[in-house]
Amino acid sequence: MSLRDNAIVAYAETKVMKKSDRDVWVLAGEILETLLDKTGFDKAEIDGLVMSGLTGTGGASMFWAQSTCDMLGLEVGFCEQVHTGGCSAVGAVARAAAAIDAGLCDVALCLYADTHVREHNGRNDRNYRRDWTEPYGLLGPPGAFGLLQRAYDAKYGVDLRALGKLAVTQRNHALMNDNACEELRVPITIEDYLNSRMIADPIRLLDCVMLADGAAGLIVTSRKRAKEKGLHKCVIPLGYAERTNFLGGENLVDVTRSGHEIAGNRALAAAGLDIRDIRSFHPYDDFLIAIVIQFEAFGFCKPGQGMAFVRDTDLSYKGTLPMNTGGGQISAGQAACSSHNLIEGVRQLMGEAGERQVKDIANALVTGIGWINYGRNWGSSAALALAPNQ
Amino acid sequence: MTVTLNDTLEVKRDIRHYDFGLPFWQATRQKKLIIQYCKTARKYQHFPRPVSIFTGRRRDIEWREVSGKGTVFSFTIAYRGTPAFQGAEPYAIASVTLDVGVNLIAGVVNCTAEELKVGMKVKPYWHPLANGEHLLMWQPDKDAA
Repeated sequence: MSLRDNAIVAYAETKVMKKSDRDVWVLAGEILETLLDKTGFDKAEIDGLVMSGLTGTGGASMFWAQSTCDMLGLEVGFCEQVHTGGCSAVGAVARAAAAIDAGLCDVALCLYADTHVREHNGRNDRNYRRDWTEPYGLLGPPGAFGLLQRAYDAKYGVDLRALGKLAVTQRNHALMNDNACEELRVPITIEDYLNSRMIADPIRLLDCVMLADGAAGLIVTSRKRAKEKGLHKCVIPLGYAERTNFLGGENLVDVTRSGHEIAGNRALAAAGLDIRDIRSFHPYDDFLIAIVIQFEAFGFCKPGQGMAFVRDTDLSYKGTLPMNTGGGQISAGQAACSSHNLIEGVRQLMGEAGERQVKDIANALVTGIGWINYGRNWGSSAALALAPNQ
Repeated sequence: MTVTLNDTLEVKRDIRHYDFGLPFWQATRQKKLIIQYCKTARKYQHFPRPVSIFTGRRRDIEWREVSGKGTVFSFTIAYRGTPAFQGAEPYAIASVTLDVGVNLIAGVVNCTAEELKVGMKVKPYWHPLANGEHLLMWQPDKDAA
């Protein structure tokens, strides 16, 4: 058994809301109901639950996944919460598949439900922040990415118009995505990006993701079980890798390098793919500069060439490298435990992306970025290569 | 564009320490900057950890006093502050590479937005805290070559 002996047989997603009008467990129930309806699985057949630990609403509970089982009436042999921040969405797929391979469960629900705008209970200060950044008023992610983007600028140079192009490309995709946050579905131009107000110079408002509420989920099972169940339209996880605390045993590091170097190489090797084979890219986007750094780390271009790569590449759904075709988190909203780009990759590979469907899509590379470390870039990097069932 | 940066010295700070980082804070009472040093790797590390990040061992760690002189590696200007800093914007925060080879993030004082550049030389500014400790901040080192 291996990762690719498993299959994602269904996805579900609520519309992203600026603030949820209903409880997080109502959203979770909607996802469960949709996934049962889509697959024909009986609730009793769901014997694995893998949740994301990136949850503001559940962040104060030590028993979040268990109490969710309780709320939804699920009895499982594998109950897991993934704690790799924004890597947890793709990490959940890999953990579900590993649990199925290990015989711990047969049919796993990967559940991404969060209402961190409506009800935020989480804390993130039991780390370096307490002594070493909070006394200076460094504003969480925007402050950290302000330091990162300026360091990138000093080393390689930032082309603001290239960042603006990323903003506009993703926004155009969100305009075609009915599930994107409605408040964000307003056309923008590169000038709008350049003129958006500074949050943490050089980070502008339109560099940043906006927290939003919503839920999504996947059903993962073995290909054998999928076939027995008659679920022929599925998405196969070909390769996955993650890296936490990249260069964590060193002190002064190049902050423009990330664990995606390692995670990308390993995931692609497992998938039997070269980066040039990738037909759609769904990079984790909390800030636009993170996308540029990922183009370099994954080898789409050489280090320092990310801005030129953006300038020279059509990243729209009909371009040479379709990117975040649902709008990305920056234009759809950072909801559902940051699973948006993963769900979009699965939807594209099932051919259900409507007017933004990528033609002849052979695969999708979905990534994760999780947590922010001290003066570097991010704590965890993940990559998941997906392909349709042949 | 002239931007006046706030030194943020009026902001009330209530800093909670970890026990393994206490030597750093104790030294600030005498306005001394001490940094963890790994005797085996012969390298410094910051922020303070319970072990050497190079070897994973507690016993390799010692504290060494350093000059605090350094060079701006990166900086950001906050136009939206954290809750305690709201109303004090804009203010600058810099990641500074010390001469001993660690990056240390701190607020910047006595500096204009026009002066603040990557590569600028800085030295410590010790801001007194209510409990007798001092908060390390950065200021331009105009005497540096």
